Amino acid sequence: MKKLSVHIGLVTALMVSAVAFAPEAALAQEKSITTVVKISGIPWFDRMKTGVEKFANENPDMAITQVGPATADSAQQLQIVQDLVAKGTDALAVVPMDPSILEGIFKRAMDRGTIVVTHEADNQKNTMVDVEAFDNDAYGAALNERLAECMGGKGKWTTFVGSLGSRTHMQWVGAGEENAKSKHADMELVDPNNESFDDANATYEKAKEILRKHPDIKGFQTSAGNDVLGVGRAIEEAGLTGKVCLVGTGLPNPSAAYLDSGAITAIGFWDPQKAGMAMNAVAKLLLEGKSVEDGMDLGVPGYEKVSVKQGAGKGQLVIGNGMVLADKDNYKEYLF
Amino acid sequence: MTTLHDDMDLKTAASQAAPARRPAATDLLQRRPELASLFLLVAICIAVAVVNPAFLQASSLVDMGRASVVTGLFALGVFAILAAGGIDVSFTAIAALTMYSLTLMVLTVAPWMPMSLILVLSIVSGAILGAINGLLVYGLGVPSLIVTIGTQYLFRGILLAFIGTVWLMELPPQMVAFGKASLFDFETANGAIITLPVYFLVFPAAAILTWLLFQRTLMGRAIFATGGNAEVAARLGYDQRLVHVFVFAYAGALAGLAGIVHVSANRMANPFDLVGSEIPVIAAVVLGGARITGGTGSVFGTVVGVLLITVVNNVLVLVGIPSTWQRVVVGSFILLAAAFFVTRQRQFHSESIK
Repeated sequence: MKKLSVHIGLVTALMVSAVAFAPEAALAQEKSITTVVKISGIPWFDRMKTGVEKFANENPDMAITQVGPATADSAQQLQIVQDLVAKGTDALAVVPMDPSILEGIFKRAMDRGTIVVTHEADNQKNTMVDVEAFDNDAYGAALNERLAECMGGKGKWTTFVGSLGSRTHMQWVGAGEENAKSKHADMELVDPNNESFDDANATYEKAKEILRKHPDIKGFQTSAGNDVLGVGRAIEEAGLTGKVCLVGTGLPNPSAAYLDSGAITAIGFWDPQKAGMAMNAVAKLLLEGKSVEDGMDLGVPGYEKVSVKQGAGKGQLVIGNGMVLADKDNYKEYLF
Repeated sequence: MTTLHDDMDLKTAASQAAPARRPAATDLLQRRPELASLFLLVAICIAVAVVNPAFLQASSLVDMGRASVVTGLFALGVFAILAAGGIDVSFTAIAALTMYSLTLMVLTVAPWMPMSLILVLSIVSGAILGAINGLLVYGLGVPSLIVTIGTQYLFRGILLAFIGTVWLMELPPQMVAFGKASLFDFETANGAIITLPVYFLVFPAAAILTWLLFQRTLMGRAIFATGGNAEVAARLGYDQRLVHVFVFAYAGALAGLAGIVHVSANRMANPFDLVGSEIPVIAAVVLGGARITGGTGSVFGTVVGVLLITVVNNVLVLVGIPSTWQRVVVGSFILLAAAFFVTRQRQFHSESIK
């Protein structure tokens, strides 16, 4: 059924874009915004698509669509962006697979007057605005605070990252560590920064090993999307549900069973639906010749009071407060 | 003429005398290289137990056993291909394609399917994909590395482009039951429950089957002969096409089975899993004494190699090696063992040339 609905979604999208592109020639004043994601068809970007469609409904006078490559391939994404620029899209809202690969085409696009907005790419130099859902340090600290609450502020805990080279993951656990050190003196960090490679099975094995080495461990803070699933399974199989706390980045749908059983205490994420809307809202502002100001309301939940900083290049870095911490009681509001 | 004979006698005498001068242990290692890995394995276990006595729990053993299953199944397949003088890097893609398509099929069209049939189907479809490798390697006459790099991309591409990219979190109940079924379980002091799952048995069963294949069947002999010297084997009348298709299909069958075990154990089917884990598997087989150029190796050695890789990967936290150093340690172990085997082979060659 789910597959079917995805297919229907794709077909609808194709029809919408076909319809959208046809009158473009006739009504030259109709502005278009195209969102380009990393991969199409995965739950994360399907969720983003619902946001883009919502924004399209709110702005019927604009041609708003979402596209993306079928596989996680930065070259294919580049190809799509090149095609869109050649076709003369007015604004691009891109979630880059690899920011450095897109620098050249973004520069050319902006030179010929195309609006460029990015997301999840705070190191992108050639962009007018990069939208980030939240401040990484604040997010890491928030995850840790939720963990501390569950642990009662004391006991051994450890951290997982996707890889030691992942900048955001290291920022999150770093901020978590800082939070525990300054606010919860009785929390003892042991064997930190375990690498998971975003592989639930490898994470499971590593979590088992940690449970064996530290039978008295009380908490896990994890970073990559699959980590909560691996650690959650280790906790559940060891019969330690409710005795060991687990807070980490995760998606509501895959984590649902473990959230219900209590093996996962809480998951943190940002809602790609809102991020998609925020990117489009910024693109619309720029198309109207306006700019994003510090403290501005983008009209999207979690982006009511954005902070604006200087980006990696000439553009702006717009940071929202779009982090979501969901637990057993409220994850059903965000099923994706 | 006489002088020449004398000369040869001298040479023969020298080469006969040489092994006698060497200590018995070196001689044994010459014939059974996997014993070096076994020794290394035991040494690591003792060292870890000294550093952290927590290692000496039944739960460690159970965890290692469970963690070795998927790597072990892959390794037995790679061993068969290495023995025939080939190499395969597509087995993870075969496993991923098989496990995901089969899980999706059972979920959507055949929820009635019993677990035994699912296992049989995984083996059959893995074997078919493997046979494609074998046909291509034989038919094109291209090195198997290139062919299997190609098919790895192809199989994975088919999976992600046509079958699906969405994680299947709700597995069919019979697969969940298979993953959870326990051979035995017990509770530790801190209230944690340790389980040795039934699927663990798949690994020893596959090892025995592979051993029988190589020890008791003509095909086993044909594979070693092909790996030793393909031309000679062909002249001896071993059907090269059959040997190629068979070894690759055999490895594919084991990979398909490994995929289903992986999914059942993991309680989710992630289409992005497995691909990328080829290198540790190949390392395990080489550590088990199989020469990368073919014609040698043993099932026992492969099992030792798998256990060595599994143990090294699973005790680093226990002995307190920080995560930044873990890859350095794993890499050093592989280099150390590889250096040993290369030296051994060089010695062996110079001996036989004499």
